[in-house]
Amino acid sequence: MTLEFSATTSLGPFAYDASFAAHDEIVVLFGHSGAGKSITLQLVSGLMRPQRGRIVIADKVVFDSERGINLPPQARRLGYVVQELALFPHMSALENIGFALPRTAANTGRVRGLMDLLEIRDLAGRRPATLSGGQRQRVALARALARDSSLLLLDEPFSALDESLRITLRRELLQLRRSLGLTIVFVTHDLREAHLLADRIAVFDGGRLLQFAARETVFRRPNSSRVARLTGIANVCRGVVRSASADELLVEINGLRLRCGSHAEGLRASPGDLVDVAIRSERVVIRRSAVGAENTFTAAIAEEFAYGTSHTLLLQPAGAGPTLEAELAARPYEVLSIPARREWTVELPAEDLHVMAAAN
Amino acid sequence: MNAAAKDRAALWTVIALATVFALFFALPFAGLVQRATADGEVWEAARSGVARDALWLSLWTSAVTLVLAIVFGTPVAYLLSRASFPGKPVVDALIDLPIVLPPTVAGVALLTAFGRKGLLGEPLEAWSGITLGFTSVAVIMAQLLVAAPFYVRAAKSGFDSVDRQFERVAFTLGASRLRTFAHVVAPQAWPALLAGMVLCWARAMGELGATLIFAGNFRGETQTMPLAIVQAFEGSLGLTAAVSLSLVLLAVALAVLAVFRLSTSHATKPL
Repeated sequence: MTLEFSATTSLGPFAYDASFAAHDEIVVLFGHSGAGKSITLQLVSGLMRPQRGRIVIADKVVFDSERGINLPPQARRLGYVVQELALFPHMSALENIGFALPRTAANTGRVRGLMDLLEIRDLAGRRPATLSGGQRQRVALARALARDSSLLLLDEPFSALDESLRITLRRELLQLRRSLGLTIVFVTHDLREAHLLADRIAVFDGGRLLQFAARETVFRRPNSSRVARLTGIANVCRGVVRSASADELLVEINGLRLRCGSHAEGLRASPGDLVDVAIRSERVVIRRSAVGAENTFTAAIAEEFAYGTSHTLLLQPAGAGPTLEAELAARPYEVLSIPARREWTVELPAEDLHVMAAAN
Repeated sequence: MNAAAKDRAALWTVIALATVFALFFALPFAGLVQRATADGEVWEAARSGVARDALWLSLWTSAVTLVLAIVFGTPVAYLLSRASFPGKPVVDALIDLPIVLPPTVAGVALLTAFGRKGLLGEPLEAWSGITLGFTSVAVIMAQLLVAAPFYVRAAKSGFDSVDRQFERVAFTLGASRLRTFAHVVAPQAWPALLAGMVLCWARAMGELGATLIFAGNFRGETQTMPLAIVQAFEGSLGLTAAVSLSLVLLAVALAVLAVFRLSTSHATKPL
């Protein structure tokens, strides 16, 4: 099943512009609230109409502004779970799930099958008000799947649940996706959730799609410092290009020349250009000495935060070099006996230094 | 005075106010019942032909009014709740007008529109020979104008209380607008709709001013219970007849209220 989506529209002062595709996978729409993620689902489902664009669901054109096609939500075969779930409060779980289907024996079997799959068979006669958060979530999912659509739109479905339940449901969703062969568009503002579920990620900000790429590409090779920030890269430093070759850049940051092994797709940088260099805090290496390493400098630990499983260190350069945040797992933190010394050698592995065009 | 004493004083004030208020409501009904038990003629008057005719007329005209209010008022209430259209504030205000307007004014207004010399009444009579004024149809029109806004108001607030997200989800589940209304919106708004029906029906049953002016006071034709009570009060039997008719009306109202209470408690009971 393939979803092709491209749409532009304006909502008051808000300009929306995005295009992406999903094919037998989970595409995560990621961004802060108000970034345009939920609007995307409304546009796909037909609850909202874009000014221009083209939307194709399973080879069926459901919207095409040029050809004047705009199918109503009823005619777009998809399952849509809204953030508030909106289970019909006056109906039992069974009636909710069966709402989309005419009452036939075959359909009753289908509803029962879905309830077995989601392990909610015992809840058939219960009203939504008597169900727990996780149970409601499952009923909503079953209802969305009842129409036998292989495209599922999920709008922050787990945001109201506690962490342990979220972990379970995420795993179940991955299993469900595999067993039913679904294409899922999943909205979240939770970075960990995005990372766990996504095959591809679409990063939204201010109504625009900033980057759409495979999960690893978005997390390791963001195409702008905004995407780098949104995807949780703590360190984005301004630098000047000193030399550029086909697969490598030499960038000077605060007097320190660093070999950078990664850059944003399509980046054209020549010596003298300003660039932004990103490195994830967990990729920063702390060493006892600089022997046998490149891209090193000396820094002092200015501040320190203990999170139990890891420590976050704020590093201030002693001479040349950037101010950085480093995340160290508990074990290396103890082995190095970090509290024993103030100044350390910091190594920034070339393959983890990612160069992007300088943001204004 | 310390804080605890102040609190106690406040509590006693509330209790005293509530008691006076409750007595004010209970005493008139106690008066009716007392008069009925003391005066043997009350029961006779209640079985009179005048009372039977008036009760029958009141029951069937108010029933027709309620049906018309539901048929015409439900779509209006739904549109007011969901749609935005030019002139919506005007329509909204127009519906409130009969609620705040004295019914006698409504009666005069009806006469100027549908009476023999009215805006529509005159051409209608010239064209078809039909006159609306002073008929049972006029009774229903008077009741509808005065009572239907109560249903529309209640229905609108009932629809307002149903989150639009339910409808949107129903659409994505393939349900048509009509099915969504019938199976998703109306059942959730049902307690409000039912309350609106009761209000509307009660207002129609009690309608006096507009009916008197637009429909007149003819036994069997336009003399509803409230009109019969006024006439009886001014007639030879005086208070006795008025009390008996009032008791009949009170009994009917109590019965309807009981049915309403039962059906709403059933509708809102979770499984």
